[in-house]
Amino acid sequence: MTQPIDCGTALHELYEFLDGELTEEKRSAIEEHLDHCAPCDGARKFEGELRIVIADRCQEEVPDELVDRIKAAILLAKEQA
Amino acid sequence: MADQATFADDAMQYLNQLFSVAQRLTGNRAEAEDLVQETYLNGFRAYGSFQEGTNLRAWLFKILQNNYKNALRTKSRRPVKFEPRDDEEIEEHYFMNRTTPEDVALDRMTDTMVKKAVDELPEAFREAVLLADVEGFSYAEIAEITEVPIGTVMSRIHRGRKSLQKTLYEYAVEQGLIATPANLGGGTL
Ligand SMILES: [Zn+2]
Repeated sequence: MTQPIDCGTALHELYEFLDGELTEEKRSAIEEHLDHCAPCDGARKFEGELRIVIADRCQEEVPDELVDRIKAAILLAKEQA
Repeated sequence: MADQATFADDAMQYLNQLFSVAQRLTGNRAEAEDLVQETYLNGFRAYGSFQEGTNLRAWLFKILQNNYKNALRTKSRRPVKFEPRDDEEIEEHYFMNRTTPEDVALDRMTDTMVKKAVDELPEAFREAVLLADVEGFSYAEIAEITEVPIGTVMSRIHRGRKSLQKTLYEYAVEQGLIATPANLGGGTL
């Protein structure tokens, strides 16, 4: 039997939940709450969406010359070895 | 034991991720490029000691992180704000508490806004948030990469996210991405 979870606990543990860092027992208890509580479910969606936006906006395009530089540096190190 | 001959083939797939994080750590493209190149070179030289079948991506990030720390120590051209000066308490879910997904155009947040907000985080928090939120590493992996206890990692991620959310929220209000900012109070309209 899992303990019922209140909104405060669910929100406080939301990051660990989204990060996949909770024990299975805790995770399913939180999920159970999120699935049945509209405001907390909204929080889950919001935090999830925000994280996707942050991750997406932080992607940098690798300059071609950097790829070439690295391959050349490794090649040189190989020859010197 | 990993074979040095296959290093480039094994490791080049992570270039984009390493470069993205390097760019946010250094805040500078030329330095990011140097940092990443140095990481690959060190990785190549040390590849014989890499245990095949373990996490190559985390291993490379650990080299990157080490090189970055060393560069910070030797250069120190800019003051290093590694931990925040005053530990102001920011509430959890700062952004969300002030708006709803319907009222905020999250998808209109630009690269520039998000990068600027990340850049404003103190060093240790920025590193933890990048590794967790951008690279998706587990707390244990981040502890291993940054060489701090897992409790410290959790606290950095947590505080970093709170701080990032506050800054992002302020930018979103500034840029008019929020239809009805709840904290403007007063109800003047
Ligand atoms: Zn709830």
